[in-house]
Amino acid sequence: MRLRVYDADPARVERIRARCVSVLETRRRETEAVGTGPGRRAWLEPALAVGLGVLYLADAVVRALAVCR
Amino acid sequence: MEREIELRLVARLKAGDPAAFEAIYEAYRPRLFSFLARLSRRRDVAEDLLEETWLRLVARARELTDDTRLGPWLFTVARNLFASWCRHRALHEDRILDVAISWPGPGESPFEATARGETERRLEAALARLPSRDREILLLVAAEEITPSEAASMLGLAPEAVRKRLQRARERLAQAMQEEPDLLREKVG
Repeated sequence: MRLRVYDADPARVERIRARCVSVLETRRRETEAVGTGPGRRAWLEPALAVGLGVLYLADAVVRALAVCR
Repeated sequence: MEREIELRLVARLKAGDPAAFEAIYEAYRPRLFSFLARLSRRRDVAEDLLEETWLRLVARARELTDDTRLGPWLFTVARNLFASWCRHRALHEDRILDVAISWPGPGESPFEATARGETERRLEAALARLPSRDREILLLVAAEEITPSEAASMLGLAPEAVRKRLQRARERLAQAMQEEPDLLREKVG
């Protein structure tokens, strides 16, 4: 069954193209940024927060055990 | 689209290459739009669903498997978006325009328009009158040449069920095309 092929309005075609390319380029920039300043901050800050949290909890457990004894 | 080219495009798209997106967009956009226009019978809806389909492709590009078949993937998303649109919005049959058959082709001469005219008009009108399940299966398998087994996985049906549905849809289409001149006569008369 051969049917005619239609297309969307040219302005809409361009708008969709621009939106999609923008999504891909944003993602590419984010990927490239890993390892550079802002990229490093993205994982360093949560890692420091988790580390400090673990130290605090460990200290609390040690103190609790000392009270129990 | 050749399979090797398709596989390379999928790999590049997964890596976020905008040029790969452009190539896929040019290859599939008109076919997807025609599919959505014939399903929805509304240009505005077809354009909205088209946009959403492409946004989903780029949003999920990294999750695509290396052997993704782009055609079935895109048509599945488009079809699911249309089904979702139908669920959320009642279709008022009397407000639907036969936009698909009234759009002029790009750069078409009057001779070409006349030559394609009658058969194509009857086919489009008959398709538009079919229930959407029949129209969907015909557009996927007969027009887009998606294999019955791919269509089965797209629609969540067994291959045998797809073959039966396709057979019924073809019969209904043939019947609708035969009835078309009678309808025209009634309208004119």
